[in-house]
Amino acid sequence: MSQQHNHSGLTRRQLMKALGAASLLPLAGGVGSFAIGGQHAGRVVVVGGGFGGATAAKYLKRANPAIEVTLVEPAETFYTCPFSNLYLGGLRGLDKIAHGYDELRDRYGVRVVHAMAEDVDAEAHRVTLSSGESLDYDRLVLSPGIDIRWNALEGYDEAAARKAPHAWKAGPQTELLRGQLEAMEDGGTVVMVAPENPFRCPPGPYERASLIAHYLSQHKPRSKVLILDAKDNFSKQGLFTAGWERLYGDRIEWVGLSNDGRVTRVDADRLEVETEFGTRHQADVLNVIPPQKAGWIADRAGVTDDSGWVPVKPETFESQRVEDIYVVGDASVAAPMPKSGFCANAQAKVVAAAIAASLESRPAPDAYWSNTCYSLIGPEYGISVAGVYRIQDGHIAEVEGAGGLSPADAPDSTRALEAQYAVGWYNAICQDTWGTTPGTA
Amino acid sequence: MRSTPASPPDALRRRLLRGLATAILGVGLLGLSLPALADGPWQRLDAARSVLGDTPPHTEGLVLDLPLVSEDGSAVALTVGFEGRLAEGDYIERIDLFASDNPSPEIASFHLTPMSGKPEISTRVRLNETQRVIAIATSRQGEQFATAREVRVTVSGCLMRGDDAPPEPLSNARVSVPSRFTAGQPEEVRTLINHPMETGLREGANGETLPRHIVERFRVSLNGETAFEAELHQSISANPYLRFHLSPEAGGEAVFEWRDDRGESARHEASFELG
Repeated sequence: MSQQHNHSGLTRRQLMKALGAASLLPLAGGVGSFAIGGQHAGRVVVVGGGFGGATAAKYLKRANPAIEVTLVEPAETFYTCPFSNLYLGGLRGLDKIAHGYDELRDRYGVRVVHAMAEDVDAEAHRVTLSSGESLDYDRLVLSPGIDIRWNALEGYDEAAARKAPHAWKAGPQTELLRGQLEAMEDGGTVVMVAPENPFRCPPGPYERASLIAHYLSQHKPRSKVLILDAKDNFSKQGLFTAGWERLYGDRIEWVGLSNDGRVTRVDADRLEVETEFGTRHQADVLNVIPPQKAGWIADRAGVTDDSGWVPVKPETFESQRVEDIYVVGDASVAAPMPKSGFCANAQAKVVAAAIAASLESRPAPDAYWSNTCYSLIGPEYGISVAGVYRIQDGHIAEVEGAGGLSPADAPDSTRALEAQYAVGWYNAICQDTWGTTPGTA
Repeated sequence: MRSTPASPPDALRRRLLRGLATAILGVGLLGLSLPALADGPWQRLDAARSVLGDTPPHTEGLVLDLPLVSEDGSAVALTVGFEGRLAEGDYIERIDLFASDNPSPEIASFHLTPMSGKPEISTRVRLNETQRVIAIATSRQGEQFATAREVRVTVSGCLMRGDDAPPEPLSNARVSVPSRFTAGQPEEVRTLINHPMETGLREGANGETLPRHIVERFRVSLNGETAFEAELHQSISANPYLRFHLSPEAGGEAVFEWRDDRGESARHEASFELG
């Protein structure tokens, strides 16, 4: 544990020691920078400012403005993975998937700290930040997203990712991949490596292949996309396959697990990959979507299991392993809910309600969730799958008959409408999460 | 035959140690002797009981690696490995796999020989719901080892199967085998063949039950002698995949053969040296 503390953290701890009531709630007289002299109804630290974390912070404040909420997120600007494929396809600027924390700070009174959470002392209920500050909490929300399992795929480490980007966390990696696509000569092959389940955004690799193919069809008509997949089945497969045929002919080739699609070695210097049965594929641009795990702070907090992900109690998304730590979004094991931004947002609302209730010693309200995954196959060709989830026999289960999938046979006008709905969905969920709608172009 | 296998992967070893620690803890808490713990889920499944002898199996030594949660029950990756100890000269001769709640619980039976080298096998299995997977290993001298793992099967909300035509039966036999072995050092071998592995339980588009059509036997021989053999059942995924080990005693030729329940077969040959 770091011995450096900022003034308010030190004072608060001293105060708590003086009261001898470090674990009692509610605790009077928080002396943080923005609760001076006031009362708070409990301290919640939220780690991660993506769909899960930002939503949790906002909805905690909406549930009870007296809860002292601190959001810890290193970046001042957050780039969303949803719609980053539109940027890769040249359909929108990076600034149009960028979001900030003004609303959380100014309108909801969330304390936003731009630092990295480096350690969690679950016993002491304390988070240490890269700034040296440490934050005491009554409840902790972790929304750390994913980390890459470096070297789980032979040859794919951080150095390799600078040549063969994953672009599975939006930002510099996405820009790198876009730059490579722009620099590629006509006639080149973009090779995409898709991982086995579970991973962030199940339809993401296939939307990406689609929008890269769109870009190529406009600017590099002799080029193609080859997807090498470690699975035999993927999200919305039938709809994607039909859309690819409709829009791109044989520009997109997909090779699944049972046709030797599983890549077992990456040579990023030579932009070459090798599959399980020894087929080598040469790329001009190589996009490796590697195996993943929960963001590493989850490990530090001791909430992950052997799988690298975080088992949670479905009713509240509290960790199954460590009390008072709640984990939302991609890091959690919430199957059959997919690892999507929409799910993170929905889970965060359940967590906010559960924490607000537990701070008042009330039982958590019944939980249910919904999710929609929109995918664009072209700028005017959208498809979707929607699901509603409830708890059944102690597990999250999809409600039968709710939700649904885009029809298999539909006129272009339906696909065009769904493409508009996709944009509407993006604007709405970003508005809900960060209070920002960055426009469309 | 090496009764102590070559260095197992770290993850497996850790899991084994953890399993042992749990077993020891269990003994301490309950005051029971180890064999009493052998009243495991294998005793409650007829198919599994049928391969067990009168003596309860050892509950340590056999390790099953499966995901805790699978988002696609049509192909769940499974690895079974033996890491326990055997008497000098004894070796694991057979490993049986069962899915407790599948319509037909048998998954596969693997027959190993001293030329199989290391008793560690991977495949992909069908699990139609959340259930236990059971593994039983039997040594040449009759020692038995059992283990079980619970797998929760959910269909991810985003998953939708494509309706591609089923694969051509027994097409595209793929084998990854070293061209050079070192005496006494088991090497990994992987095989994959396209086949629908139709279970006989599924309805086709016209509502009629599609007849069972599966690969039921796979065999590897080294210079004419059987080194590894597998009996496969409906619970093996379409396009059966097998990863196992070989440890040849001389250079020569390896023959890989698949045979399905309609009497059709496929064959792949590879030559190798022994260094």
